[in-house]
Amino acid sequence: MVRRTIATVRYQILQTKEDVELLLQIFEALVFPGVLFTIGVGFLFDWLDRKTAARMQGRIGPKIAGPSGILQPFADFLKLLFKEEIIPSHADRTIFLFAPALFLLAPLLSMLFIPILALSPIASFDYDILAILFLLAYAAFVVSVLSYSSASSFTTIATGRLVLQYVSYEIPLVLAIITAVLYTRSLSVEGIVAAQSKLWNIFVMPFAFAVYIIALMAELEKPPFDIPSAKTEIVAGWLTEFSGRALAFLKLTKEVSYVFGSALAVSLFLGGPLGPEFSGVPIWILYFSYFMVKLLAVGFLIFVLKTSMARIKIGQATELFWKILTPVSLGQIILILVLIQGGILVVS
Amino acid sequence: MSETTKKVESAGLMKYSTENLVPFGPIHPALKEPEYFKLVLEGEKIVEVIPRIGYVHRGLEKAAEMRPWVQNMYMFERTCGICSFVHSLCYGQAVEELTIYEVPRRAKYIRLIVAELERIHSHLLWVGLMGHWAGFETLFMWVWRDREIVLDIVEAISGNRIHKSMNAFCGVRRDMPENMEEQIVEKMKYLADRTRYYREIIDTEETMLERTEKIGKVSADTAEKLCAVGPMARYVGIQHDVRLNDPYAAYDEVPFSIVTRNEGDVHGLLRLRLDELIVSTELVTYAVKHLPEGQIRVKIPPIIPAGEHSSHCEAPRGEIFYYVKSTGGRTPDRVKSRQPTMANLPTALEMLKGLTIADVPIVLTAIDPCFGCMDRMSFLDTETNRHWTWSGEQLRQYGIKYYKQRRT
Repeated sequence: MVRRTIATVRYQILQTKEDVELLLQIFEALVFPGVLFTIGVGFLFDWLDRKTAARMQGRIGPKIAGPSGILQPFADFLKLLFKEEIIPSHADRTIFLFAPALFLLAPLLSMLFIPILALSPIASFDYDILAILFLLAYAAFVVSVLSYSSASSFTTIATGRLVLQYVSYEIPLVLAIITAVLYTRSLSVEGIVAAQSKLWNIFVMPFAFAVYIIALMAELEKPPFDIPSAKTEIVAGWLTEFSGRALAFLKLTKEVSYVFGSALAVSLFLGGPLGPEFSGVPIWILYFSYFMVKLLAVGFLIFVLKTSMARIKIGQATELFWKILTPVSLGQIILILVLIQGGILVVS
Repeated sequence: MSETTKKVESAGLMKYSTENLVPFGPIHPALKEPEYFKLVLEGEKIVEVIPRIGYVHRGLEKAAEMRPWVQNMYMFERTCGICSFVHSLCYGQAVEELTIYEVPRRAKYIRLIVAELERIHSHLLWVGLMGHWAGFETLFMWVWRDREIVLDIVEAISGNRIHKSMNAFCGVRRDMPENMEEQIVEKMKYLADRTRYYREIIDTEETMLERTEKIGKVSADTAEKLCAVGPMARYVGIQHDVRLNDPYAAYDEVPFSIVTRNEGDVHGLLRLRLDELIVSTELVTYAVKHLPEGQIRVKIPPIIPAGEHSSHCEAPRGEIFYYVKSTGGRTPDRVKSRQPTMANLPTALEMLKGLTIADVPIVLTAIDPCFGCMDRMSFLDTETNRHWTWSGEQLRQYGIKYYKQRRT
């Protein structure tokens, strides 16, 4: 009976070729290379981050769960899911409970705009860079609101630092992205990636890449920019009051943002999934391998940078971004435009 | 709020409105021991710091009066978990002065070696903590890994890692282990190399410089007026080191020079302590190579002749001071100890003025505080400024009366 029902449903749904395509698309969006895959890479990044930092500091790092502790971030996530959730009596309950989910949405959605298996990503339209910029601002807004909603003295200080850090790094970050947009004359990630088939953007605009990486570290709150979550000053910063499931998902969001930030760097400056093609090997396997290698390279760059620095003060961070990085990224844009006008650089 | 607390509050804080007061401690992530600082702020800037000490008063001095002379030596060693040996050394020296016995020369050298190893371990611990508070986890991990080398040597010499229990009256309890000389010299050389590398890091790492340079400025005059001791005096250029000024143990026989610096900021303190580490490794190397032969201990009777004496030593944090009074009994009549944190706290409060809240943890760590060591008790009426002492019996009676009143 059951078998017959399934067979009927299958027959009814998969009648045409379009139906198979639709199912494939749903699979792509939800599993690979969509949501689940992104979360998996997030856990992988967390493990690599901890392992690299441990090796650089003369420690061993996680080693119990799975081979070399590769399952440790996932184990931590599961453990937190079963922990008791405490809501502070002063907190704004609605925001406090919903904001973590809203926060997770931002990097997961943005990740759908990144081409991984083919030149065209899962979701794309002509101006999707603008959507990505909006989602970046949205994430910063949600995290400030959820930090403020927990209403403790530590999170209040953290909120102030978060907002100040956001207004510091956002301008250089956007300018770095705009540099790639201006050079490739395209407002979609797909177009920017396609324009890099001959020469990666990083060779044209090395300074924009550097500014992007530094601003990304500020966005991800990696040292030296771990100011809003400075554990020796304000406990855990904006994470202080969260526990249980909410904490699990906030930590997951941080890792997924890490993956998305690196993936955007790969797409904008390192040619996305493009690379030499060989006959005989399916194109999506090649693209996927190139993309992962570049993604891990960018991730590794950030691991190394963050391990070798001390935390700076919020005023110093603002000065760094406004006085040094903003002029540098503006200078990079002007340089690119001058070179194009002079005919030395050819717009692809 | 009790009546007494109100009095204390009103005495110091009348001129500040309550909105500008930010409490720092007694339970705070930046403090490993309970201590309370009231920060008076003007915007982000600190204009005044009011400390409240005494959260971990343990009654050490009173306890000493009830224990035999020898037992006290190992009790005072537990004053501090980091600089333990130097406490028993200082107390022991004060008691030894009351007797007619001499400390053997070999024991003096072994005391110097252990004291210097302790200084290395304490300074390394502090450098690591500074990295931790500045958010430089890698420095913290590296330095604490190297600290294990010193702890291993200390364990080989004394059998313990932290509370060495090496001292005895007129000598030490254990001789140096055989065939360790080469190993110690080699490890000291390695530590000196590592220290030079750390010095290079803190001098060149931009983020570290930004957090420490020109932070916590104090002039030499202020530090001298506020009686700063140890590294806190040396980092503004005051030549203050008991090892040199009034040598004890074998410090008069070994060649060494003390380090002073003139910056007078947190970065200067970092440089100073790292330079001192190198001096200490050289001292240990020299002492191990020139260790004289002979006995390590003279047995003395358990009763100490009547009299009083004081002694001071250079602990890793600065000068410690012990006063001992004997009436010829099995227990001391009075023991007074003063720890360097007590002497350095006024200077630290001076350093904090004009800085922002983000600097408070790093400056408080910079003085290498040991709040647990310094807490003593005295009686003071803040309204009349009267200062008095009570005997143990009087204090007991007061306690009984106080709790009876509270019950009703």
